[in-house]
Amino acid sequence: MEYEISLLTIMGISIIGALSLNIIVGFCGQISLGHAAFLGMGAYTSAILTKMGVPFAAAVLAGMVVAAIFGILVGFASLRVRHDFLAITTMGVAFLFLGIVRKQEFLGGEMGIAMIPDPGLGKVGYMILVLLLALAVALFSIYLKRSWMGFTFDVVADDEDTATLIGIDVSSYKLIAFAIGTAFAGLAGALYAHHVKFIDPESFNFVESITVLSMVVIGGAGSVWGVIIAAAALSLFPMWFQFIDQYKLLVYGGLLCAIMLFSPDGLSGIFTRSLANIRGRESNASG
Amino acid sequence: MLRVDNITVVFGGVTAVKDVAFGVKNGELLGLIGPNGAGKTTLMRVITGTVTPVSGSVSLINTSLDRKSSHERIRAGIGLSQQIVHPFRSMTVGENVAYAAGYAKTRNPLRSILSYSRKKEMDKAREILKLLDIEEVAEATPTNLPLGYLKRLEVARALALQPKILLLDEPLAGLNQMEARKLADKLLELNRLGQTILLIEHNLSEVIRICGRIIVIDNGIKIGEGEPQKVMRDPDIRSAYLGEGYNNAAS
Amino acid sequence: MLFVNLCMQGLLQGGIYALIAIGLTLVYGLLRILHVAHAGLYTLGGYIAVIVTNTTGSFSLGLMTSMLAVGLVGMVIYRLIYQPILDKPPFVALIASIGLFIALEEIYRIIFGPYGITFAAVPLQGAVNFAGTYLRECEIAAVLLATLLIAALTLFTKHSRIGIAWRATVTDPEMSQSFGVDVVKVRYLNFFIGSAMAAGAGSMVALMNNLVEPTMGSVPSYKALAIIVLGGLGNVRGTLIAALVIGIAETFGTIYLGDYLDRDSIAFAFLILVLMVKPTGLFAKG
Ligand SMILES: Nc1ncnc2c1ncn2[C@@H]1O[C@H](COP(=O)(O)OP(=O)(O)OP(=O)(O)O)[C@@H](O)[C@H]1O
Ligand SMILES: [Mg+2]
Repeated sequence: MEYEISLLTIMGISIIGALSLNIIVGFCGQISLGHAAFLGMGAYTSAILTKMGVPFAAAVLAGMVVAAIFGILVGFASLRVRHDFLAITTMGVAFLFLGIVRKQEFLGGEMGIAMIPDPGLGKVGYMILVLLLALAVALFSIYLKRSWMGFTFDVVADDEDTATLIGIDVSSYKLIAFAIGTAFAGLAGALYAHHVKFIDPESFNFVESITVLSMVVIGGAGSVWGVIIAAAALSLFPMWFQFIDQYKLLVYGGLLCAIMLFSPDGLSGIFTRSLANIRGRESNASG
Repeated sequence: MLRVDNITVVFGGVTAVKDVAFGVKNGELLGLIGPNGAGKTTLMRVITGTVTPVSGSVSLINTSLDRKSSHERIRAGIGLSQQIVHPFRSMTVGENVAYAAGYAKTRNPLRSILSYSRKKEMDKAREILKLLDIEEVAEATPTNLPLGYLKRLEVARALALQPKILLLDEPLAGLNQMEARKLADKLLELNRLGQTILLIEHNLSEVIRICGRIIVIDNGIKIGEGEPQKVMRDPDIRSAYLGEGYNNAAS
Repeated sequence: MLFVNLCMQGLLQGGIYALIAIGLTLVYGLLRILHVAHAGLYTLGGYIAVIVTNTTGSFSLGLMTSMLAVGLVGMVIYRLIYQPILDKPPFVALIASIGLFIALEEIYRIIFGPYGITFAAVPLQGAVNFAGTYLRECEIAAVLLATLLIAALTLFTKHSRIGIAWRATVTDPEMSQSFGVDVVKVRYLNFFIGSAMAAGAGSMVALMNNLVEPTMGSVPSYKALAIIVLGGLGNVRGTLIAALVIGIAETFGTIYLGDYLDRDSIAFAFLILVLMVKPTGLFAKG
């Protein structure tokens, strides 16, 4: 039972992490290859603060704020550089984060931080908290997508120059997408830290960034449901089936490559197309 | 309403616009014509802030736009329809226009995240699409539509912003003669209802028919200004411009 | 003496980076694709070199086989992965490439084991006194190979017909197509040469470390991306300079910045700094 509880907790955290990146990549169309760094910022902030005696909730909140502040800084980069340059810049930020953390004594250096305080909710209580937060982030995402801010993100993702020419302050909206997305990443990271109780630089390395990106891309960038399903599946399968765990990265890599080749809009794209096919057939049959 | 003073634009050593000045009066329908490469689009881009001139200034209703960024200029009351169409391809024609119609909701991010319903804007979009005779493609995505539709979508989106001045760069291109005439009539009608319009067009017969006043530029220099018939009778302008343009007008 | 030594080490490192990065920047120039999986070919080059050397006893044979075979694999990757998605938005190819790279590393791990393989009898290990510092023969060989390959590439693109067509295509794909250049042939050639150069680098690194591991491409892969961005995506000369600069900056940085920043993030710190000042890289073309 304990194993399943832990599994569901990790799943909830993965969903929050993937949805957070989805706001930046899926909604606002800004590629980011360094998302794990923001999870790391949330995790490290919250871990250190709770070890200093700050209450759990306040520490997590601080983790979100720290991640969002750095998120906005990277957002400024997205105003200067676009597309491929942005991809590499965000990747660079992630490597820089690790490079700095590894050398900082107060962040535990290579050794990481151990014995991160337990929030005191019990295993089940913590799982419920995480799942409720995941639900909240999901509901917020759905609302955001349908709101006029989400509408604006669609427009910015589609063609930012034209967006400017109908009076949209593209820079502000991009920065907000980065701020919201990285704040939730900070949340996911902080929740992770208090779940596993030990973090080190490797917990947030480049492969982790790509793992989060895989969830978004495989689910279908921009689709809240697609991303939730992909995040749940990709976080659960490798643990359920030990033999997959061995080949986890091969599966991720292969899936990423295959999805890009056959359905760049991910599972949600496959779903939408099959639905359209079925509808088409029905209307053919009836008409 | 709109004033453009002493605008000079240089692209990599080539002067595209040289010391051009003109004004658009409130409620006017002003035509801006000139042969290919004359610098018309460039002037339009100077007004919207996409191109920075070497010298000169732009002002709208006595407020200078010079230090404003593009989106601020649009917010100050400009509606732009570009020569090269730029529809948002990931959404339907209706949504394209509705999004622009929601300009008050997108002015600041806080307001945008608190606004949810799109109903009013969708209705407004339908109205505008109907006015421009393209409401039948409201549900279509722009990707496979003919140019004539996309041109009108471009105009529709500009109109949806309820601008003080409408800047139209060749809105009639890609339309057949009947459609062009109909759209020109619509523009005239809008103008009579009080809409100020600056119209760039190659379709001379329509320009002469609907514009109260025209400006002619050639090689980046303003070579004529005044009542259409009168300006077109000027022999200098005929030789500079009509040499090739006359055929356009005739066809 | 420390100074000279650091310079030598920096240039050596830079030469290796250049061999990897040039292929990458050529692919970008031609197809606007960030070919992350390129470093997977570098690793493959190392494996083939070690295996062939161990079977035949000749490193030069190993090196040659490795470059040839990996060049062909590069062409296959272009055909199977990139060609079908050329008209999709750029991030599609980028993510496919990352996926491929991760999958390749896993395949190496599954086939060759997680701990890597080594030479049975590792050649070229003698030390040579060079300008007062000691260099190993294999390091000198690596510098020579890098110089040779880059010089050959330059001559080839300047003087051979197909080379000139290639350069023209990298500079302006549409223009050269209208001049009758067979763009598809140029692309295959591009992948062949770029991949072969990466294999050369992989073989030399295998020799210097006497080790090939599944993940030996990870760090060079991302670092090479930083380098080609610094060099101004698609600009070969810029890439060469950027590679050497990063190589030297790293060796010096490790000594002087080691307490604040680890070696592998120096390139990225440099990159971010440069991009904030000049968003199109140090040597943007056009
Ligand atoms: N971004 C640019 N860079 C360099 N030159 C440009 C640029 N934009 C326009 N030009 C040049 O400036 C001149 C004026 O171009 P512009 O597009 O303003 O002409 P136009 O009057 O709109 O022509 P058309 O009727 O064909 O639309 C042309 O010679 C054009 O080649
Ligand atoms: Mg024009």
